[in-house]
Amino acid sequence: MGDQHLDTRQLGELSVQSQDLNSDAVRITREVLGEFAQEQQEQRGARGRRTGLLAGLVGAGTLWGIGRAAAASSSDDVKALQTAASIENLAVSVYTTAAGLSFIKDGNATVAAFIKMTTAQHTAHAQAFNAAITQAGGATQSAADPKYAAVVKAALPDIKAPADVVKLAITLEDVAAQTYTKYVGLVTDASLRKLFGSVAPVEAQHRAVLLAVQALLSGGGGDLIAIPTQPAELPAAAGSVGFPTAFYPTTSASPISEGAVS
Amino acid sequence: MNRAKDWELPISEAELTGLTRELDEAHRETIPSMFARAKDFSEELADTTTDTDTDTDTGTGVRPHSVGRRGFLVGVGGAGLGLALAACSSSSTSAGSGAVPGAASGSASASAGSVYTGDLKVVALATALENQAIAAYTAALAAASAGKLGSVPAAVGTFAQTAMSQHSDHAKAWNGVLSSVGVPTISGVPLAGQPQVLSALGAVTDVGGVAKLALQLENQAAQTYLFAAANVTSAGGIATAASIAPVEAMHAAILLFVLGEYPVPDSFLGTSLAASTSTLTV
Repeated sequence: MGDQHLDTRQLGELSVQSQDLNSDAVRITREVLGEFAQEQQEQRGARGRRTGLLAGLVGAGTLWGIGRAAAASSSDDVKALQTAASIENLAVSVYTTAAGLSFIKDGNATVAAFIKMTTAQHTAHAQAFNAAITQAGGATQSAADPKYAAVVKAALPDIKAPADVVKLAITLEDVAAQTYTKYVGLVTDASLRKLFGSVAPVEAQHRAVLLAVQALLSGGGGDLIAIPTQPAELPAAAGSVGFPTAFYPTTSASPISEGAVS
Repeated sequence: MNRAKDWELPISEAELTGLTRELDEAHRETIPSMFARAKDFSEELADTTTDTDTDTDTGTGVRPHSVGRRGFLVGVGGAGLGLALAACSSSSTSAGSGAVPGAASGSASASAGSVYTGDLKVVALATALENQAIAAYTAALAAASAGKLGSVPAAVGTFAQTAMSQHSDHAKAWNGVLSSVGVPTISGVPLAGQPQVLSALGAVTDVGGVAKLALQLENQAAQTYLFAAANVTSAGGIATAASIAPVEAMHAAILLFVLGEYPVPDSFLGTSLAASTSTLTV
């Protein structure tokens, strides 16, 4: 891969700029997690009050039913968070491995910078999901999603060029984006909806960039993968290949049990 | 569109045609499921309309009688959502991702007694934002055709046309929800900040200026959908907003790339640029 059109100084500045923005985003997520923690405390308090109030009115069997229903929804939320964390853990692992491949670290500097930044972003996502799990009283997830870990393992022998890494990364980013988009509507807690809703678009953005990179690589335009790019030299398809659908699909979303801690 | 002189297509026409076909097929595959979600949303809203009366305490015009029905509960929607959206600051994090002029000013311009109440207010806002984007891309493409923007790269032209088409699909989905519950669809841009957007659009003289303005609109739309997904409690509404936010964010990423900026600057999407329902003028 060539490194024409690459302004490394500007790329460095952009990375610093992005890290500053990233700090803002992390602050936002801390706020979301704070809201989640508060809601969890309120729910526990309400559950306790409800238990005390109802104890004198209804039988223990009904109480058990109420408690079980509340615990079930909370339990599903935790499973969703654990599966999300497992997907992030896998992404971090794949990108970290990719960064060490000779054709990546000695190849296109923009691709290498993208992998570095994307690894950091997935790390932040995993931390956010695990922090939410902790807030909910669940077990944090440090393992990789088993289904897609197997997909990665099967793909590894065939990874011999940047295009192979990009193809695998597109798969993982799409699964992450679809899964979180789906989870926005599945989780019971509003602050968790916001958390999943704030991560899904970022994974979709990773995918958009990778789709554009894939198109350029397959068309022999690897030297156009640069920041800043040369818009006038890009093929027309580069302007639209990054966002193939008007509505983000969820048909390939992972079930909440997929990466749950057993 | 004027294309850069001496430009050579780095990939073959056959490859390009193949890519375009794949894109179109992928796009078509998502449409039915999306409209199914919008239909669910319509049914939820229709159910609620049947089961509600005016809530004078909140001014939402909607008081759910059965909070259990398909999980619908206006809750923080309606006036509460409007106030919360208005409370979103319009602070800018970078030159390329600032707030749309006047869009989140918080000025209460929505008319009293509007037919768009509760979650419908958010639907109306979403439709207006989509129409705003369609209008902006339409104007930009017209300006480009008239040679007012100088040389326009082919990729930028394709971006504008495709993004505009997707915004049109979003608008159709939202308008489908409005018409299904018997309220008027929205064909214009009933937003208080629209004159400023038109003014800003009229002042640009090159592709970079148009791209920056488009980036603001895309960021605002994505963040508005995130806020809506977190605060609208209708299951169909949440799913619909959640499925559109990533697409607007993807538009923003490609625009950032074209502008020479890092395409994925944030680890998490925020809501500071979200539009306020108080800017609706209907």
